[in-house]
Amino acid sequence: MREQIIEAVKEIFSTMIMMEVSAGGEVPADSSRTDSISGIIGLAGTHKGVLAIHLPHRVAMSITGSFLGMEVDEINSDVEDAVGELANMIGGNVKSILSANGRDISLSMPTTISGKQYDFQPTKDADSLLIPLRCEAGGLLIELQLEK
Amino acid sequence: MGKNVLLVDDSSTMRKIVGRSLRQAGIEFDNIYEAADGLEALAILESKKVDIVLSDINMPNMDGITFLKEKAARPAIKDIPVLMISTETGDDIIGEAKSLGAVGAIKKPFTPDKVNEVLGPLL
Repeated sequence: MREQIIEAVKEIFSTMIMMEVSAGGEVPADSSRTDSISGIIGLAGTHKGVLAIHLPHRVAMSITGSFLGMEVDEINSDVEDAVGELANMIGGNVKSILSANGRDISLSMPTTISGKQYDFQPTKDADSLLIPLRCEAGGLLIELQLEK
Repeated sequence: MGKNVLLVDDSSTMRKIVGRSLRQAGIEFDNIYEAADGLEALAILESKKVDIVLSDINMPNMDGITFLKEKAARPAIKDIPVLMISTETGDDIIGEAKSLGAVGAIKKPFTPDKVNEVLGPLL
């Protein structure tokens, strides 16, 4: 699962953002995010949970700029939209990993959270997979929580 | 007279990227119309000349599958081809889209070459 998600994120970044991504970095010690934005998509069906991509603001602005081919110097609706779409694409891949025919799992619409400091925690008892990644813009974190 | 395309996706980022991919693939349209969901798409199809639709599946208000059903029920626009561009590429959901008239599907993420390969023969 971990390697499949890494490969999916690599493909998304290389084809849509023109950035290379590699596995690496430290797993955060807690669920607190600082000066960050998170794109979140829910999974329902045979597997229930959430998939999130957490990005420091500066990384999110750089990725959005590369996505759109323009300079981005603030967290605005373009950044929120781009981060939500990233979560959507990663969520689509996770759905394919977990369900071969695509019928067993439904995806929610992507949402974003952004702020100076916030916590991202599961609401129920869940298995959590944290995957730190690096790209030229900096570090990012993929988080998959699946209900036990 | 040139051709017109309608891009349907709730993500403005994705609509821009699809538009850019069309240009990078060397596919020129006279007009590129945009809609954020199936409801907006139906309104544009009924008021503009559109030759082909590129549509997401997972959208608020009216998703891509419901859009195909609604379009099929409207004689004036039912024959306009729709190509799905989505993270939803499971056999079942794409099969359902095709049974409702979709002419093909492109999986996100995609390259301009992939867009050209699938869309080119349809124009």
